[in-house]
Amino acid sequence: MTVPLGAFIAVSAVLFFLGAAGVLIRRNAVVILMCVELMLNASNLALVAFSRRAGQLGAGNPLDQRGSVFVVFVFVIAAAEVAVGLAIILAAYRNRPTVNVDEIHEMKG
Amino acid sequence: MFDFLEPFFFAVFSLGIIGAGVCVVMLRRITAQALLMALTFASMAGMFLLLGAETIALFQVLIYVGAITILILFGVMFTKQDDRGYALFFQKQTPWAAAFTLVIAVPVVFLAFSFKDAITPSGKGGDLIPLAGSLFTDYAFPFEIASVLLLAALVGAIVLVKRDEQ
Repeated sequence: MTVPLGAFIAVSAVLFFLGAAGVLIRRNAVVILMCVELMLNASNLALVAFSRRAGQLGAGNPLDQRGSVFVVFVFVIAAAEVAVGLAIILAAYRNRPTVNVDEIHEMKG
Repeated sequence: MFDFLEPFFFAVFSLGIIGAGVCVVMLRRITAQALLMALTFASMAGMFLLLGAETIALFQVLIYVGAITILILFGVMFTKQDDRGYALFFQKQTPWAAAFTLVIAVPVVFLAFSFKDAITPSGKGGDLIPLAGSLFTDYAFPFEIASVLLLAALVGAIVLVKRDEQ
């Protein structure tokens, strides 16, 4: 009795859309950043699951790890994104001490 | 005889992922949200283990559960989190956002269940050696570009938060 691929993909899709709803609904900039991280991580799960399936089906090299390699690059992008995102939040916070994105509606200094 | 273990752990991890994810989206206590986000990431690492991607699970724990959660917590501590009650569920964009997300999410989640292939862990000594072989031969150039991207992000973050010397 094993878990089918579809269950992993469904968990990934649910987490992705939870993150998307959070990005659209929440107004706290830090929470929006967290929700973006959830979305990126959900995509990682789908990538690893499909990569595992492609390796099993024997399409080419059974040790094919291209999905996992892509996940490593997603990790890099996520780390860079959260660092720059928090820096932007802090820079905006210095101009106007709030993290509510509805109140940061102009970019003049 | 231990056939039930894999579905059992799958249920535990997916409950952790989705339950903590719902809490991250819905709660209003920002520190609890950050820690629940860490729980989501840790459960995701368990999911990677179930899929037989041990190296990715290790990276997940190191980068997401460790670094990114700490970074987010620093962001929480550096900014004043006003606890005044702007209504979470009665903003003007909430019904549109929820409807839009549901309209896309429900078909996608149902489509996801159409993948019926069983996932069996390979059990051939882990994924570190094939992953490293792929990463440092075929993808060596993107790997170097990624290091440049990280350097640019590091410099950019420092420049953005640096105070102007008067």
